[in-house]
Amino acid sequence: MTTSTRPEPAAVSPIAAVPPLNTSRPRRSGRSSVGEPHPIPWVYVVLTGGLVLLVGPFLWMLLGSFRPDRELDVVPPSFLPQDPTLDNYRTLFTELDFVTYFVNTAVVAVAITLGNIVFCSMLGYALAKLTFPGKRVIFGLVLGTLMVPGIVIFVPLFVLVSNLGLVNTLPGLIFPFLAGPFGVFLMRQFMQSLPDELIHAARVDGAGEWRIFRSIILPLCKPALATLGILTFLTSWNMFLWPLVVAQSEERYTLPVALAIYAIGENKRDDGLLMAGSVVIILPVLAVFLVLQRHFVQGIAMTGIK
Amino acid sequence: MTTLTASTSESSTLRPSRRRPDRGRRREVVAGYLFALPFLALFAVFTVGPVVASFLMSFTDLTARDVRNPLSVEPVGLDNYAKLLSDDTFGQAAFNTAYFVVIGVPLTMGLALAVAVGLNSGITRLTTFFRVGYYLPVVTSIVAVAVVWRFLLQPDSGIVNTLLGYVGVEGPSWLRSETWAMPSLIAMSAWRNMGYLVVIFLAGLQTVPKEMHEAASIDGAGAWNRFRYITAPMLRPTLLFGGVVTMIGYLQFFEEPFVMTRGGPLDKTLSTAYYTYNQFGFGNYSYASAMAYVLFVVIAIVTFVQFRLLGDRD
Amino acid sequence: MRTWTTGWTRGATVAVLAAVALTGCGRDDGAATQDTKAKKVTSGKASGDITVWALGAEGEKLSEIAADFEAENPDSKVKVTVIPFDAAHDKIATAIAGGQTPDISLVGTTWLPEFAATGALDATPTDLIDPSRFFEGSWSTTDVDGTSYGAPWYTETRQIYYRKDLAEKAGVTPAEDWSQADLKTFAQGMQAKGGAKWGISLQPGGQGSWQSVMPFAWQQGAELVDGDAFTFNTTAMQEGLDYYASFFEEKLSPTDLSAEGALETGFINGEIGAFVSGPWHMGILRDQGGAGFEDKWAIAGMPTEESGTSFTGGGDLVVFKDSKNRDTAWKFVDFLTQEPQQQKLYELVGSLPAVQSTWESGELSTDPLLKSFGDQLQDAKSAPAVATWEQVAAPLDDAIEQVSLGKSDAKSALGSAEEKANGIGFGN
Repeated sequence: MTTSTRPEPAAVSPIAAVPPLNTSRPRRSGRSSVGEPHPIPWVYVVLTGGLVLLVGPFLWMLLGSFRPDRELDVVPPSFLPQDPTLDNYRTLFTELDFVTYFVNTAVVAVAITLGNIVFCSMLGYALAKLTFPGKRVIFGLVLGTLMVPGIVIFVPLFVLVSNLGLVNTLPGLIFPFLAGPFGVFLMRQFMQSLPDELIHAARVDGAGEWRIFRSIILPLCKPALATLGILTFLTSWNMFLWPLVVAQSEERYTLPVALAIYAIGENKRDDGLLMAGSVVIILPVLAVFLVLQRHFVQGIAMTGIK
Repeated sequence: MTTLTASTSESSTLRPSRRRPDRGRRREVVAGYLFALPFLALFAVFTVGPVVASFLMSFTDLTARDVRNPLSVEPVGLDNYAKLLSDDTFGQAAFNTAYFVVIGVPLTMGLALAVAVGLNSGITRLTTFFRVGYYLPVVTSIVAVAVVWRFLLQPDSGIVNTLLGYVGVEGPSWLRSETWAMPSLIAMSAWRNMGYLVVIFLAGLQTVPKEMHEAASIDGAGAWNRFRYITAPMLRPTLLFGGVVTMIGYLQFFEEPFVMTRGGPLDKTLSTAYYTYNQFGFGNYSYASAMAYVLFVVIAIVTFVQFRLLGDRD
Repeated sequence: MRTWTTGWTRGATVAVLAAVALTGCGRDDGAATQDTKAKKVTSGKASGDITVWALGAEGEKLSEIAADFEAENPDSKVKVTVIPFDAAHDKIATAIAGGQTPDISLVGTTWLPEFAATGALDATPTDLIDPSRFFEGSWSTTDVDGTSYGAPWYTETRQIYYRKDLAEKAGVTPAEDWSQADLKTFAQGMQAKGGAKWGISLQPGGQGSWQSVMPFAWQQGAELVDGDAFTFNTTAMQEGLDYYASFFEEKLSPTDLSAEGALETGFINGEIGAFVSGPWHMGILRDQGGAGFEDKWAIAGMPTEESGTSFTGGGDLVVFKDSKNRDTAWKFVDFLTQEPQQQKLYELVGSLPAVQSTWESGELSTDPLLKSFGDQLQDAKSAPAVATWEQVAAPLDDAIEQVSLGKSDAKSALGSAEEKANGIGFGN
């Protein structure tokens, strides 16, 4: 404790909550339930400005998906589609075996996300809060592999997966990514901020380690878990090169691979189909984001045990 | 700080304190290993194995022509690494990568932190809308992003040069200029990757209990001081994480030059990762591995420095 | 023939790796143990299953053509898997590394030598497949060190698309056997009197620009290899590159066409007077040009100096050595190179057949634009059949970029490229 770099005056500890503060102060205007009390009006302005800049390409993609081929190649392009058409979407859903690809991508992404959430939070917790020999070595190893450029293990990994007989299978797409070092690093950092008193108190009360983890730690980690879920889902949903190489028959393709096949030819790219496909591919990722981002708002979760 | 140990020993005076630490200690160790097991098992097979294999590969002269009988390659010791030192293109790629990282990481982190703090500062309306908006570049396909940015940076009809034209500046051909290609890519990356960090920083900001802010503002602290003395320190593990992850990501930047400039003009936007990818494409597997591990060493050193600077707990 | 590394590094290496038990390893110093003699294929109907990897648009239509094969050979089944064109090279290379190759795959012509060098490809049984039926340039893409692997399926070559109406206005319509100087005059005329902003659009360096430059060098009699060395810096090469770069120097070609679709847009609205490309642009121009544009453009052959050579690429079908049904695989390849199937490929996809006799009937013999491609195919070359070509082409592309942008002269740029190329070698 004495070596901690965080300020830890007793008053901070959520357990020693400070009820008098809440009841005796009049509410200031504009206070939200989390974070700092004062919203500053110009913040809205700046953020909106930035937002316009950021949303531009997405809007472009969206609008582009409704353009016929002719329009997409015109330079400079007009902002709104002059001849909007649903053709791109029609091609997307009829010519491609959309359902199969969607299911494959979904199964892979969900499996990898859930796996990471479970395994990484477990190891992250162990590294952050438990003491055991070899802890630093393990963390070093995990962090180390995060620093190895991914491309270099590609071929050996394929040879391995091939020897395990997992080529052209969904497990072959999933297993190599179930244990992601990124998730461990993320969870460890977050969990470090959790107060040790909670754990000590629970142990004193006779709770088992797993119970502590499941009932106390995990609920407090909602923002971190949500973050990990969002980011893992995003990367696994959009994976391209690995599914391409592992799948040997079209039934195992994922959406990004299928889109590349149909939209990118040797000499010509079907930009309309590409845009439409990209929009459709984004939607589940956005959905997951919308669902999980609620958990960024911790609200009163931090203000006490159970 | 001493209050905590005091409280624990207080509550434990009711039980014999000598036996407890041993049993507790062992239980903790067992728990530690059990918690670590599932991850480590998968990790050992699917990550550590291939990493070791590719590392060994860098000490041979394996090329694509040898893959059907890999055991017949010759060990060449440090030849691949020595070759890297005299490889001009590698030198250029290394410089480009350093350039990208030194400017790009602080830029992206600064922007993301500002946005996250802004989003967290009690904006009650449209919070979700903002969050989704800032996250959109992250999910938008790189192809769409490339089309738009190329259009923005068009020398004649692009928006950037048009706007510059209004103030009497003749904008260069951004992506084909040896001086301006890299800054253009840095801007594009900061724009695109900000969203990741905003998501992470937002989550981190949530762990700052509001009581602290309330207590501080009651004591008269203004917004900036509150940020400096409360938010920032509590955010340290998150900042470290964000910094390390961004640094690691940027040291391996690949997509942006790949879709925008193909490493040009004249290799001025060729990154180390892109060059490694090219070498893999050529079938020079062992040379590419050596390159990747040199990059790894750099990443490791930089990360270590970051850990030191931003103060890790363990 | 490999030479051992110098004494002390070798000793150190062995010491380091001894623990990893690699002392028993090492390549044979003698000749390659590869079996390059093609085995015969049995006669009679095909049987069993085969898997085929096909790329892009041709791949999608392959199932239709395969159905005909299955009808003729009822005991066999052909499973077609389409793979994306972009990443196909990576996928095939990785499949070879992991021992997961299909029976047949379509490959880009410039990839074939590099895959052949891995030993994964089966040599072509020339009793079954007759080389003389194909365009010489196309067949040469399957030939590696005297042995052929696979067979050409479709081909393409490059010619000059130009605005017929602007050329007439400027009075510079290309002649049948025009020279390089004529082409230059043509571009100047298009700009001065035709009203075009750019006389002709050429690729100013960048990946693959060697395909644009080499025709002009080949026309001067240049060759890319001689024996076992690359010859990038010969006088003929310099002449070809200088000629090419002069278009940029004299502002006849733009150095910056970074936007997607800018070329087609520019050509359609008359800003760009001409450009060099393959048969696929016919379809693109028809789609985008809209009504009435068809009459405004035409195609001219490459200019002639010592020869009127153009570049040829396309797709080759290869059979993998690990194939479990080699017989049927080769029979299928043979089937695809028969005239009716080549004709069908053209009708379904628009790709040009690699088999010469297909050009003697149907649209390929009557349509003047197509016919001009057919004629050009008689005099077209490809990259040298060297396993390291993709890697060696990169310094060459760099040299082209430098000279095109005026940053260097042809002699020093090509000299440096040649040095780098020979440093890389043929990869044996």
